Amino acid sequence: MSYLLHLATFFGIYAILGVSLNLLIGYTGLVWIAHAATFAVGAYAGALFATKLALNFFLAMLLAMLVAGILGSLTGWIFSRLGGDYYMLASVSWNYIVVSVLINWESLTNGPLGISGIPKPSLGELSFAEPTKFFLLTLVLLGIVYAAARFITNSSFGRVIKAIREDEQAAKVFGYNTLMYKVAISGMGAAMAGIAGVLLASYIGFVDPSSFDVMESIFILAIVVVGGFANIRGSLVGALALVLLPELLRFAGFPAEIAAHVRLGLYGLALILFMLYRPQGIIGEYKF
Amino acid sequence: MERMFFAQLVANSVIAGALYTLITLGFNLIYGATKFTNMAHGAVAAMGAYGVFFATREGWGLPLSIVAGVLVAGIVGVITDRLVFSPLRKKKARASVFVIASLGIFALLQSILSITFGAQFWPLLPPGTGRVFDIAGASVTEVQLWILGSAVAASGILFILLKFTIFGKVIRALSDDEEVAKMLGINTDRMIGVIFFLGSMLAGLAGILSGFDTGVQPTMGLFLLLEGAVSSIVGGIGSLVGGILGAFLLGFVENFGIWFIASQWKGAIAFGLLTIFLIFRPRGIMGKD
Amino acid sequence: MPNIPLEIKNLEKQFGGVHALDRVSLKIMPGTISGIVGPNGSGKSTLINLLSGLLPFDGGRVLIGGRELNRIIPHKAPSYGITRTFQNIRLFEQLPVLDNILFALTDRGVFGALFEKHGASHLAQAEEVLKMVGLWEKRNELAINLSYGQRKLLEIGRVYAMKSEVFLFDEPFAGLFPAMVETVAEVFRTLKAQGKTIILVEHDMGLIRKLTDYVFVLDSGELLAEGKPNDVLSKKEVIEAYLGE
Repeated sequence: MSYLLHLATFFGIYAILGVSLNLLIGYTGLVWIAHAATFAVGAYAGALFATKLALNFFLAMLLAMLVAGILGSLTGWIFSRLGGDYYMLASVSWNYIVVSVLINWESLTNGPLGISGIPKPSLGELSFAEPTKFFLLTLVLLGIVYAAARFITNSSFGRVIKAIREDEQAAKVFGYNTLMYKVAISGMGAAMAGIAGVLLASYIGFVDPSSFDVMESIFILAIVVVGGFANIRGSLVGALALVLLPELLRFAGFPAEIAAHVRLGLYGLALILFMLYRPQGIIGEYKF
Repeated sequence: MERMFFAQLVANSVIAGALYTLITLGFNLIYGATKFTNMAHGAVAAMGAYGVFFATREGWGLPLSIVAGVLVAGIVGVITDRLVFSPLRKKKARASVFVIASLGIFALLQSILSITFGAQFWPLLPPGTGRVFDIAGASVTEVQLWILGSAVAASGILFILLKFTIFGKVIRALSDDEEVAKMLGINTDRMIGVIFFLGSMLAGLAGILSGFDTGVQPTMGLFLLLEGAVSSIVGGIGSLVGGILGAFLLGFVENFGIWFIASQWKGAIAFGLLTIFLIFRPRGIMGKD
Repeated sequence: MPNIPLEIKNLEKQFGGVHALDRVSLKIMPGTISGIVGPNGSGKSTLINLLSGLLPFDGGRVLIGGRELNRIIPHKAPSYGITRTFQNIRLFEQLPVLDNILFALTDRGVFGALFEKHGASHLAQAEEVLKMVGLWEKRNELAINLSYGQRKLLEIGRVYAMKSEVFLFDEPFAGLFPAMVETVAEVFRTLKAQGKTIILVEHDMGLIRKLTDYVFVLDSGELLAEGKPNDVLSKKEVIEAYLGE
């Protein structure tokens, strides 16, 4: 039971990441291959606020969302003027840089050793340390992110970002400052990823740079691809599939050392196969 | 700055530029033909390096191992084209589909290397192999001279190939306009396969030399790809000469840059240069409007 | 917006040394339908692209609504009162017909779009527009699934919804069946009755004679002739320009 709860909590965290990345890639057409870096910013910001400043988890989370959101808007502002391939490449470089900073700015981040002793959430007398309670908290936050994403995509704003995906220049000609929209969605997606980051940091109690490299960004991309672009529910399906999949590997008996690499290989394979045979993902709403 | 120290920085910059040149040549060649950023290019380079690792472990001797490594890279490159990119071209998939597929290939190849050889770092040559030269006050290893020599040779051969042979003309026609090339009767799909083979062999060579210089690790591909891509963009995508200029600019900026900032920030420099160019001159040094 | 003519002064655009537009000057009277004709490569589409901000000017100015501009930023073009259709149809393919129209109606600002207050009113206006071009029944259909003619009509509907002052139509009639041609002509008449200014790039001389008040003939980036349709189109040099192409 506790194992299932553990999986479910990871599902929740990665579903938030998938939904937020889908807003950028699936809805707006911004191929952002650095969501792990945004995730990391949230995780580290949350960790630092909660440990070094001893702030309450929820306050730390709000501040971490702010930090991630502002940084996301900034990188959105700098990079989203660029054409497709350049944007993607710049995002990969950015991921590489963020990890580099996390490893090297030891006075702030404690370098490769990471930050430990991150407390579990609590609100006055109420503690969320117990796995069931933490999972429920994760679920609630997922629900909020889901609702926010639905609100955004169903609004006129959502229509505009989809138009930007379809034909940005035509969207401009009709009077829309598309850069501002791209900055806004980059910031909102980043803030959501920040939530996931703080959740992860608190759940494991520990963060270190190695969990946030480009491969992790590719994993989150796979969640979006497998579930289906431009479909919020799809990202839930994708997260479910890709969080459960490695667990099936356990039963296949791969030794622990290579399990992580096998997982990576399977994500890569999933990306290849879906692009070749089912680019619209499992849900299949948006003909990519 | 002390003269010897300055000379060392120059030497390091030139060597780095030469290595990045090898990557960017292959990258630009493939980009010219396919018009998308192939993120698997770095992983192909790693394949070349590990090909040599495997061959030397099996006792094949250095020259044969190098040939094997280069061929492995070329073959892997062609396979990725035949199995993935060619079908996508036939479906007229949009550019992002190619890029995402190439990210998948990158992950898959890296995982294969990690599973087969382990995730740790291996040196490719026994330590102390090769002489160390003193050139105008800078110390340069034999491997580093090979890097320089290979870059010069590869650039020269490629230049002659593209400018003076029919094969080269076909490549240039294809890169200029694929539709027109098709109308001229060129089997563009097969030509692209050949270009992948050539470009991937160059990547393999880069990976091998990088491996000789600083060892191999499954994750080595990403760093090589980024340096190559930054060189290409800074130099102007599609321009081979631009790529070379970009590669050396990157090499110099990185090495002189870490005189001012600690060396762990080297990657940040590449990224910083990229960002500056993307903001102020996205078409690169040699790019057209 | 006051009834000031739209003036184009010495507009210039070069592509790699070739003048697509070589110091073209036109004066468009408000409330009229002006035709822009000319052989292929004469600069018609370039002119539209410059006026709508798709390309920067290499020289010259545009006077519109009392303002003198030496460049038009694409997303500001509507604020100068300009909107346009595209010859090669640029719809938002994966969006439904209704959304393509709503896009022209909704708040342009990021916050306004996120917290939309006028949804019902926009929907009503979209319904009016779609009924005018005969696409209301297809409102939930993705743009990519429409027939060619329907897609052209959707383009027309989209600019009609813009409520601009100056409408640039780039070959809106190409490939349309007579019934649809009539629908588009009706849109033109409606706009004219509202006092709007229309610039029509077109190849079909019959339509030019039927619909326009005034015609400008371009050839190789220069203004060759201008005047009333029947006068201009029978001029010797105009006919020669077309035959020579």
